[in-house]
This record gives sequence, structure tokens and C-alpha cells, in this order.
Amino acid sequence: MLEQQVPQRQVDVSFDRRGRLQRRDFLRTAGAAGLALPGIGWMNQLSGQAQELRKRNQACILLWMQGGPSQFETFSPQPGTSSGGDTKAIATSQPGIQIAEHLPRTAELMEHLCLIRSMQSREGSHPRATHLMQTGFLPTASVKYPTLGAHAAQQLGDPTAELPDFVSIGRRRGSSGGGFLGVEYDPFAISNPEKTPDNTQLTTSQSRYRRRLGLLDELQSGYETSGGEQEVANQRKLYNKSSRMILSKDMVAFDIQQESSQMREAYGDSTFGKGCLLARRLVETGVSFVQVSLGNWDTHQDNFNRSKALCEQLDQPFAQLIRDLEQRGMLDKTLILWMGEFGRTPAINSQGGRGHFPKAFNVALAGGGVQGGQVIGKTTAGGKDVADRRVKVNDLLRTVCHGLKIDADQENMSAAGRPIRVVDEGEVVQEVFG
Amino acid sequence: MQMSKDRFGPFLLVAILVTGVVGLSDLVRAQALPADVATRIDQLLVAESNHTSQGTPVPVVDDETFLRRVFMDLVGEPPTTEDVIAFSLDGTVDKRSRLVRQLLADASYGRNWARYWRDVIMYRRSDERALLSVRALESYLTDAFNNNTSWDKLTTEFITARGDIRENGKTALIMAQLGRPEETVAEVSRIFLGIQIQCAQCHDHPTDRWTREQFHELVAFFPRVAVRPKRDDGMLNFEVVASDSPIENRSRSTNNRYRGTPEHRMPDLENPEARGEIMKPVFFLTGDEVPVGSLDADRRSQLADWITDSTNPWFARAFVNRIWAELVGEGFYDPVDDLGPGRKCSSPKTLDYLAASFRERGHDIKWLFATILSTDAYQRASRRRRNVEELPFQANCAQPLRADQLYSSLQAVLEIPESNATSGRQRSSRFSPRNSFNAVFGFDPSTRRGDVAGTIPQALMMMNSPRINQYATAENGRMLGRLLREVTDDRQAITELYLRVLSRQPTDKEVNSCLKYRRDLRDRGEAFEDILWALINSAEFLHRK
Repeated sequence: MLEQQVPQRQVDVSFDRRGRLQRRDFLRTAGAAGLALPGIGWMNQLSGQAQELRKRNQACILLWMQGGPSQFETFSPQPGTSSGGDTKAIATSQPGIQIAEHLPRTAELMEHLCLIRSMQSREGSHPRATHLMQTGFLPTASVKYPTLGAHAAQQLGDPTAELPDFVSIGRRRGSSGGGFLGVEYDPFAISNPEKTPDNTQLTTSQSRYRRRLGLLDELQSGYETSGGEQEVANQRKLYNKSSRMILSKDMVAFDIQQESSQMREAYGDSTFGKGCLLARRLVETGVSFVQVSLGNWDTHQDNFNRSKALCEQLDQPFAQLIRDLEQRGMLDKTLILWMGEFGRTPAINSQGGRGHFPKAFNVALAGGGVQGGQVIGKTTAGGKDVADRRVKVNDLLRTVCHGLKIDADQENMSAAGRPIRVVDEGEVVQEVFG
Repeated sequence: MQMSKDRFGPFLLVAILVTGVVGLSDLVRAQALPADVATRIDQLLVAESNHTSQGTPVPVVDDETFLRRVFMDLVGEPPTTEDVIAFSLDGTVDKRSRLVRQLLADASYGRNWARYWRDVIMYRRSDERALLSVRALESYLTDAFNNNTSWDKLTTEFITARGDIRENGKTALIMAQLGRPEETVAEVSRIFLGIQIQCAQCHDHPTDRWTREQFHELVAFFPRVAVRPKRDDGMLNFEVVASDSPIENRSRSTNNRYRGTPEHRMPDLENPEARGEIMKPVFFLTGDEVPVGSLDADRRSQLADWITDSTNPWFARAFVNRIWAELVGEGFYDPVDDLGPGRKCSSPKTLDYLAASFRERGHDIKWLFATILSTDAYQRASRRRRNVEELPFQANCAQPLRADQLYSSLQAVLEIPESNATSGRQRSSRFSPRNSFNAVFGFDPSTRRGDVAGTIPQALMMMNSPRINQYATAENGRMLGRLLREVTDDRQAITELYLRVLSRQPTDKEVNSCLKYRRDLRDRGEAFEDILWALINSAEFLHRK
């Protein structure tokens, strides 16, 4: 039997921050009866650690290029080769580094960007590759893996913050992000950055809303005292959290109209641009992880025109985001990750398109301690394979965890009680941080 | 029913304790009536868990609570006000079991449980394209449950299915995994046996006794199955096919499974480039096998036979455990898809007895429901979920409503029409209000229910959704407007609302709180809108007590 009487609720709460180790699982892994439950001291140490992490306050903005952006038409042009197609290369602010002609403004900020041209994976199907890039694992029916954003929310999130820790802007495909960490780590999803998120607009005046909450509270006491104490307690917690959010003055972060017209113009007219501006505002308010999606890069036909059009949507806001964060002194603490699920084939098909190509593709990083103005790895001439410094998906994710000061080796319990690390294997690409 | 309890109870209790498991099947055959089996279950639970020595279990629940609970559990909808009043006025002794029989015969029963199993299968899909088969799956299961198709027949149909995924709902389980054999057999094992064998895919199972060979021998039942795309008038579609062609599929791609292969090869861990060893199809629980070279139809029908065979205890156990967990709030095994010899089972004799009875009855699903719903274990009032060291089944637990149940409740309460927007086109149902609601409130039903937590988007939807709000006003065309016109007395109107939303009479305290709230406001409509808002946002409404 237990040596110390520890109130159950406390055990739940303190283990929550450490990866949702449930009561049941704790007792299972700790062995049979007769174990000494840790004294209160250890639990204080746990929450102390969480305090430490919170103070550091790293944040991540993931620019998710849905569909698989062509490396040749973005950051790794190959003019003059059979793979290069029509796309020319331009010089950047960093001598020796050239990128595709359609990203001129981004080129001017090359000193902040680190390109990895030697990404390699074996997944060429959209859903599998997307899952792999976002979670570090291949999809399987038995485990719902959490995305990087969920891990960031769990390890970096501030429980006293009034806004959600993980926000996703733009059309999302696939299942939730929290995975087995639980629904509270699902991203708060915004489909349109131009209007306030769904159901955050009160349907009545604020005073009436508060009155209603008061009435709700009062009427719940009946059920509470007749067997529903747990349900009512959880409900209260959730409703408190939700109403704190929508009544919070921080909600204004969701309103990009608050920015000056110059600032809004600087981010450009596109939905993606507005999403980037919103991302900056959210990170500024303390949100730990914001994903902004841009698509559809899946250019099996008409690759050159379509990529150009997408780059035009990408270029201005991407550059502005970096500049904006730098000017606000936020760039060191905000890691920007630009990536899609794979790249595109060197070969150009009869419809002027490129197929899926995970064998050698590129990603870009900036901020969060990343050493800009450099290229890591290279492909063979024509980009058919990685020639030097191969970077696998888990290497990239470990690198990102390092930049965010997230513990990639932290183990969390899957629903079936299996301990699963944030990132399995992989090594940090140290060159990224200089 | 009451009579048989008094006459046979003590005798049978002794008989069980004396005869043990060997004599069980004789007793089982003699006691096939739900009520009798239910009595036995309650007695076994008492004997197994020493309830009496550890404090008394919670009493059986009152009529009002029972009514709403059984409605939610069986048909996934709340009772109407008339149902509530009629049931409470009904003075007959067997009204509860009659109610259960009535609800089991209702078409909504099939629909409710079809949705449950749809979610069980679809939440584990490894590809979004599997959603194309959802409609056919729901339609197939609704009919199957309403016709009371036996569970072994359903299982066999899922395992041996082939055909157009939009037309043949039986193909859904295979389609959910896009026909990939490793994923498919993992799901077959998880869903029908409650055994998570896929952990042994890459190495011997860490906590169970299954080996890697055994996993791949199971995969060897499915290598000839494939899922091929087909275009139907420009609409994307797929079909589950099986080919007995001897031509090997050497493609390394694990992304799509457009073509099967005659035999399954276990990957060589030392040498990933090698083709791997051909595996003989062997069923890991019994050692039964079919020869290499067998036709697909033989492989899958044999596997189905062995899985559903009466000598395989895991089949009935997995189903019984799952339904029990859903109804009583907690399974004998938790989670419900992780049984297997290495797991802890609370009250194994009770589970085995009920599983044996279920098996003897030919896996009759409606019988199982009738039986479990007759037990005291089910009928007890709900209390908070127990701590690990406390005894199980002392009380029922409040279950968070599944998305479909919650949506149906809102529809009923607020009189929201089921929008059949352009029902001819397949696509439209994806964005129907019900599906949008499901996207916010849905969860995998195999999750331990205690782990299902409310989310911010859910709370926001219930509090601020313009659509819900639109139907919850006191305007003329709305439920509340009509209610307030018909019932001019405030106290009565409050009672009506409670009966409608929570299927029960309000307590005096609740009436007084509402009356006070009403009197503090000048506008009657506004006050009652707020009361209605509070009721549908209450924990009680969002749960099945």
C-alpha cells in the first residue's frame, strides 16, 4: 500500500506537465505495491523545471508549404542544367549563395537564412510524407503521434497564458495535432486570418455573457453534489479557460486590423501574408507555436507558372516576417521553419510539371539562434541525389527541437502505454547554429 | 424476474463457487434469459470483488436518470418530455426491461451503434481517402445492427470483404488502411480480438508474448488484397480487390497498395535490401495455418473462422468488454482494445461468464445489450471515476456524449431540422452541420473515456455558435418562443425546460435559482434564453449520467 497519502489530483497535475504520465501508467511502471511514492519535494522539483522552461519562452513559426514545393523554383535553382527548366538564379545579400529569381525580397535577407539543400526521405506520398515531416514518424493505425507543435505547446506552453499555445492558420489537412498527448494539444485552428476565429465572437453583450456564466455556475451545483463532481469540475476549468481567452485583452492579437496600414501593406495582400502577420502578433503575445500554411505546391502540371505565382505570394511576407521580428528584437527567440513534405523531380514531364521528389529537397531556417547566411549540404549537379551532408527528417526535427530548447528525448506515454520519444533517433545538425 | 432472483439466487451462487469454470457452460445454457444472466453477473461481481467487505456499492439509479441513460446508450437521442412523464407514471414492475426491448427495436439503435463502430474504424485510418467509404459503412452497419446480425457474421464480412468501397460498407476496415496488409491485420487483431499485435511488427513484443514471426504470419493472410483506384463519372473511387495471380509485386513502395502479391515476406532486419523470408499464414492464437500458395478467399475465410470460433476466448471477450465499458463506464480490461494475456483484468470470472453466455447465444448483440442493461452494475447511479486502488463497478460513470449523440440531443432540444442538403450528391454530406459538429466534438471511441477531455473549440462552439444560438432564441418560430407562449407560468416553464433539456424534473433549489434570475430581469424572453443557454452548456447535458 502507499506509504504516503498523496491527494490524487496533485499527482495528476504534476505529471501532466511531464508528458501526461497517467496515474495508471505511473503505478504500472513503478512496480508493485510497497513502492515509496515520491515525497512532495520531488513534485516541487518537477514544477520547478516547468517554470524554468516557461521563462525561456522560445517560439516557433512553421511556414508549411503544402504539396511539396519545388526546390528548383525556390531555394535551389539549377539554371543551365536539364533540371533547371526556365528558372533563373539571382544573387542574394550573401555572396556565393543564389536562390530562384522569384524570391527577390527574400534574397535580400539571406544573411538571416540557413538553407539545407540535402534533405532526404523515402516518402513520396502526400499523407505519409506530411505526417513524417510534422511528427517525425510514419503514420500507423496503432499510435496517434503528436506533431511538433503539440510538443512545443506541451513543453514551452505557459499555463497562465490566456491564448492557446499552438495555433494553426490556413487550411489544414489530416488529423489533429495533439495525438496521444491529448486534445488539449490540438492546434487552435484559424481558417481565415482576416476574421476573428470561429465562435470567439460573443452572441450577446459582454455583461450578459458574464451573467450567463454566473447562472451556469449556480445551476451546476445540483449535479455537482449528486455524483457529478468530477464532470462539473472539469467543465468549470474548461469554461474558465475558454472565457478567459475570449474575454482576454490578448484576443486583440487575432485582429490584424490593429496594425498600421503600412505594416499590413508590408506583409502584402495575400491570405498567406495576412497569416504571417497574424503569426507575428500571436508570437508577440506569447503563443509558442504557430503554423501558417501556403499551398498548393503540388505542380504536376504547369510547374513554372504555378510555382512563380506561389513564390509571389511567399516572397514578400516571408521577407517581411523576418525583418519585422528582427526589428522587434524577437528574431533570436523565434525560430522560423520553412518546409513542405518533399521536393520535386529534376525531370520535367510533358505537361511542364514536376513529380514528387523526397530524395533530395530543401528546407530553410531562420531565427531562434540559427546561423544565417549559409547553405548546408548539396546535391549532385542537376539535383538528382544528395551529394554531401545528408540530412534526414529526424535530424531536422532534432535540430529544430534544439533551437526551441525542447527536450527531444522526453518520453511520453502513448494510449497503449508505450513510451515514445519526441523525436526518435536523428542527430542535431550543429552547423545550423554556427 | 423478481421471483427467480429470490428462488434461485442463493443456490446458483453456491453452485458457481463450487463447480467453477468447468461446470459453467451447463449453467450458461440453462440461464440464457438476459435477466437471469444479469443476476448472475451481479452475484459474480460481488463474489469476485468482495464488494461487501469494502463498503456498499451505490444504489440503483432513479427512473428519470435511467430513462435518459438508456435512451443515450441505445438510440443516441434524448427522450422526449412525453417519454419522461410516461415512464415515471408507469407503475409496472418490468418497465425497465420493456423499455430496453422497445429501444432495441427502434431504427435509431442501429444508426447510433453504426456511428460508434464507424468511429472505431475510421479514427485509426492511415489515409484520408478512407473517408470515401464512410457513408456505405454507416448504411451497412445500421442495417446489420437493426437486423441483429450476429457479431461473428459481421466480423467475417469485414475480414473477407471485397468490392466498391462506396457501395459495399464491408470493405471499410480494409479501406481504412488502404489495403496495406500490415496495417489491416493490426486493426483486425485490435478490433476483433482486442490484441495489439502490431507492436511485434519490428521486434518481439515488449510486454506481451507475441513474436515478430507471429505478427508476420498473421500478415500472410492478407498479401493478395489490394485497393485500386477507379473513376466513376469523374468521381474518385476505390475498390478492394484480391488477386491470386502468381506474379510477385516487387514494388518497394509502401505508399499505395494498388496490387497485391501472392505471399507475404517478412522484411530482413539485417539486410533491408533483401526480399525477406516468405511467411506461412498462421493464426497466432491457435497455431492454425493454411499452406503457402492458398487462394486469397481461403486464407481470409479461414482466418475469419478461426477468429470467431467458439474455442477462441478472445473474440467474445473483446466485444463483451468493449460494450460493457461503454455502458458501465469502465471495462474489465482498460483500454478496451488492449486485452491479451499480459494485461490486468478486473473480475475475470465475471467477464468470462458473460463472454461464454454471449458465445452460447451465437454472439447475439441485442441479447448482450439486454443483459448488461439488466444488471445492477449498469443500473447504479454514476459517481466520479474511481482511483486505481478503489474497487471497480461500485457505480456507473458519467460518459461524455459522443459527437453524434450530442448533436442529436441539440437537434431534439432546439428542434433543429436535419439538413439533407442536396442529398443526391455524395460530396455535400462532408460539410453538413452534423459533420462540422463531429469535427469539433468527435473522439476515438476506443480511448479510455476518462482520458477524453473537453477542448476550447468545443466550449466555444457550445457557448457562442451562431447556429446553435439562432435556434435557442425566444423568437416566434423557435422552440423556446413557442414554449413561452404556451406556458405562461414561469415555474411551469422552468420545469418544462428541465424536462426537455435534461429529461428530469428540476430540484426546488434549481427552480428557485431560475425564478430569481427571471425576476431580476425585465424581459421574460431574455431570461429564459439565458436559462436555456445555461442548461445546454451544463456538464449534465454534455454527459450521459
